[in-house]
Amino acid sequence: MIPMKFDYYRPDTVSEAVKIYGQLDSEGKRPLYYGGGSEIISMARMNNLDMGAVIDLKGIPECRELKTDGDHLVIGSSVTLSDITEADLFPLLSKACGRIADHTMQCKITVGGNICGTIIYKEALLPLLLSDCTVLIAGAGHLKKVSVHRLFHQGLNLSPGEFIVQFLVEKKYAALPYFHIKKTKNEKIDYPLISLCAVLEEGSFKLALSGLCGFPFRSVRMETELNRRDVSPEERVRNAVNLMPGPVLNDVSGSDRYRLFVLKNTLMNLGKELEG
Amino acid sequence: MNSVGTNIQRQEAWDKVTGRAKYTDDDQITGTLHAKILTSPHAHAEIRSVDIRAASKVPGVKAILTGKDCAILCGDVIEDRPPLAAGKVRYFGEPVALVVAVSEREAMEAANRIAVKYKPLPVVASPSEAILGDAPLVHENLKKYKKAVQDVYPEPDTNIADRIKIRKGDMAKGWQESDVTVEASFQLPKSDHIAMETRAARAEIHPDGQVIITASSQAPFSVKKLLSKSFQLEEGKVTVKTPLVGGGFGGKVPVILEALAYLASKAVDGQAVRIANTREEDMVSAPGRLGLEAKIKLGATKDGYLKAAEMTYLVDTGAYTDIGPRLAKAIAVDCTGPYRIENVWCDAVCVYTNHPYATSFRGFGHTSYTFCVERALDQLAAALGTDPLELRMKNAIIPGDTTPTQVKVTSSSTGNLTACFERLGALIGWKEGARIDLGNGIVRAKGVSGFWKTSNSPTDAISGVLLTFNSDGSINLNSGVVECGPGMKTTLAQILAEKMKMDVSRIHVKLEVDTQVCPEHWKTVASLTTFMAGRAPLKAAEDLIEQVKSIAAVALKCPTEDLEVAEEKVFLKQDPTTYLEFKDLVHGYQYPGGESVGGQIMGRGSHIMSQLTTLDHETGRGKSGPAWAVGAQAVEVEFDTKDFSYRLVRAATVMDAGKVLNPKTSRGLITGGMSMGLGLGSREAFVYDGSGRVENTSLRTYKVLHIGEEPQYLVDFMETPQVDAPYGARGIAEDGIIGIPAALANALSTAARTELNQLPVTPESIWNAKTGGKL
Repeated sequence: MIPMKFDYYRPDTVSEAVKIYGQLDSEGKRPLYYGGGSEIISMARMNNLDMGAVIDLKGIPECRELKTDGDHLVIGSSVTLSDITEADLFPLLSKACGRIADHTMQCKITVGGNICGTIIYKEALLPLLLSDCTVLIAGAGHLKKVSVHRLFHQGLNLSPGEFIVQFLVEKKYAALPYFHIKKTKNEKIDYPLISLCAVLEEGSFKLALSGLCGFPFRSVRMETELNRRDVSPEERVRNAVNLMPGPVLNDVSGSDRYRLFVLKNTLMNLGKELEG
Repeated sequence: MNSVGTNIQRQEAWDKVTGRAKYTDDDQITGTLHAKILTSPHAHAEIRSVDIRAASKVPGVKAILTGKDCAILCGDVIEDRPPLAAGKVRYFGEPVALVVAVSEREAMEAANRIAVKYKPLPVVASPSEAILGDAPLVHENLKKYKKAVQDVYPEPDTNIADRIKIRKGDMAKGWQESDVTVEASFQLPKSDHIAMETRAARAEIHPDGQVIITASSQAPFSVKKLLSKSFQLEEGKVTVKTPLVGGGFGGKVPVILEALAYLASKAVDGQAVRIANTREEDMVSAPGRLGLEAKIKLGATKDGYLKAAEMTYLVDTGAYTDIGPRLAKAIAVDCTGPYRIENVWCDAVCVYTNHPYATSFRGFGHTSYTFCVERALDQLAAALGTDPLELRMKNAIIPGDTTPTQVKVTSSSTGNLTACFERLGALIGWKEGARIDLGNGIVRAKGVSGFWKTSNSPTDAISGVLLTFNSDGSINLNSGVVECGPGMKTTLAQILAEKMKMDVSRIHVKLEVDTQVCPEHWKTVASLTTFMAGRAPLKAAEDLIEQVKSIAAVALKCPTEDLEVAEEKVFLKQDPTTYLEFKDLVHGYQYPGGESVGGQIMGRGSHIMSQLTTLDHETGRGKSGPAWAVGAQAVEVEFDTKDFSYRLVRAATVMDAGKVLNPKTSRGLITGGMSMGLGLGSREAFVYDGSGRVENTSLRTYKVLHIGEEPQYLVDFMETPQVDAPYGARGIAEDGIIGIPAALANALSTAARTELNQLPVTPESIWNAKTGGKL
């Protein structure tokens, strides 16, 4: 049960959505864009969210696109995680989406919602960070394309009134050899201790991680360290683990030290896989 | 016509599998108001002020209650708990105010607008902290509280609500005879029942004073009595109805929402009010499973015979006692596990903390102490250099031995534990080795545990059954037992069918309980239903048979002793072709000319617990339950020595059921217990922040075992009859859970080669125990 009253809008076009947002915002309604809505329900029923209006993006055709277009994949922000795993256009993204929440929730949660919501893990973002994809963002009077790394770096860079319309991923990235490893406390379906996505591109690998810090990240410095050939694998891993971009999480899922232990172990295994 | 020992489909099966079964909060009745609680955000704090002005202005609000509006104290053992906190809050999640409104949304909105000012107080964060001399007091007025029973001994100006002492044999002699001793400490966290149906209640007060409560409860008769007592209501004017209950596991025994629903209805002139917990409220505001800290010292001769046991159990009852003192008592009564130990010293102490409070939970304390004893036994086996299963078999309790409370054990009262261990060993292939290296850092390991359990009912607990006939000769069975999942009412039908020698499908059971029309059944708890409620239909059947025979004797013009009853007929023993059918007798017999004799035949049967005593306060001597169920369990895991993760492979239970009444239901009950035990062993635990607030109040972060993570389950039964039980059947409903966390921790301790003395056992806790937290 959501305790407060709020208005519901379901625009049919990108421009309509932006317009409604501007109008509601000026009326002081604290509007929220949303895709699946699962987080709105779970947050609001616990009094952790207070909004006067919601704008449902699922009625906008561009946000629902999931297709190949020339040398790109087009992934609409309101596409659900289960749509992504079923279409399987980007196998690493399928893997990452297939391990977020349970299947019932995967049929509700959208890729845009997973990335823009308040839950910190945003595991759908990891493959997108590795693909250096382009993000189509709508805002008041504009529709712009930015790099995924501009959209997200230790936090989401969306201005009030902006929303993600689509992710545009170069097809070649979807074809790279990949690894997906998710480690949890003790339960398959859970928040990650670590969620690791990696791809192998021209002999060196790229790595994106979630569950370690308060935000998912891709660290070029860690990648460089792990791709070195002049030191032992143990040393590479040890050095990489020292390059965390922020404080390591310490919570009910696992202590900070244990997370680092799991990361070290996982990176060692990954190294063996890559060399083997 | 055999009914006992066969697979009988449960009476409510079709309603359940088609989704048509109705639970307390399933029917939304027009005109019903909605109540919502506001809960405490602090574990321990003084309530400085409660401002309801803004909340009262929310449209649709009909009433707002706070602690001041219901200045009573509740409790089954010690009356220490106000329905709404008054003066101070003692745990995170404690109900502070109650809003009644036209809609649930409005009630929630108003609850959010109640402004409560708190002054945080120092928190009692564990039972071992609670018993320190300078610990803050959870209840300053403990000595002034009313005791609801005689045999409870709160210690004034401390956090100790009760202490049960076991003094058996001669400890000095025991230690002297011991060549080897082991000592270990254990910690088990609090957790929750996680019944699928969250608790719910509905109350209405009619203009004539009739109070009608509908509640998701394992104890509707307690609801009736406690409401009557707490609110000075004439007991006959309180009616409690309980439809099917969607899982209880002990959590639906205490009377909580029923009292709030009554207060809410009273505040709105008796209009119907419903209140239903969210999952979060059900986990933290409502009581959960006890926590435990324990110290165990065992002594044995070098050839492996146990000689002495010294044990201290600190039961974390949380902020209120509820049934906590009885949990401590249950632990004391069976504190050694099912083993022969002549010299026992045990203190089981029920301790207040600022945690959510504890109530009964499947196993009633036995799962917790069993973990400690069985882990200590494995450590003793290692110290002796003996096989853990062999050590247990050598010391398994047998007829002639005495229990910690000095009750002499008979074959009927306990069954055959040695046979259970033998069968378990064969079932899981114990001989192939407890730890097998599979290569690549993976090992497969097994752990075992024994268990026993008796009940701790009041010494005068009762149960009854009423039987009526339909005109076609079939029987209606009416009992106060709540159907909360184990198929108890089907069992009662089975017992009756067997006794009446008729088809069980011709026995119609009233599944819902209505305290106005159902004969009382104490509470549907303690694995006692088969025994207590099961003896009632046996007596009721005798009553029916006698009446059927006496009217048939008139009709057939013969003495009653020549008559026999079977298959809904009463016939002459010497000539079975001379008979009358039930349908022609049970609503009166009509002669061919039309004259009628007899009348409606109705059967009644009841049972009261007998030969039970309270425990002697100094020595613990006494008898708390009619018999024990015993068994042996094992868990097998596959463990990764590199990252400390593990997978559950197999779990096994062999128990002495006395008589297996319904094989598939019995297997299901044991398997369900094992599954819960694996949850407790591997993941279920409340986690607190530094201020005593529970951090995992939802199923996102509080995990239970899920489908896909279950091991293969092996279940087998021994059948040593309990001679005073219906068809020899022992209570088995709870028991599948008892030894499983211990067996899991034993398996993982063997696998990881380290002592795992805390629950739950997670990869992180093994990593910690093994490496001290090294990277």
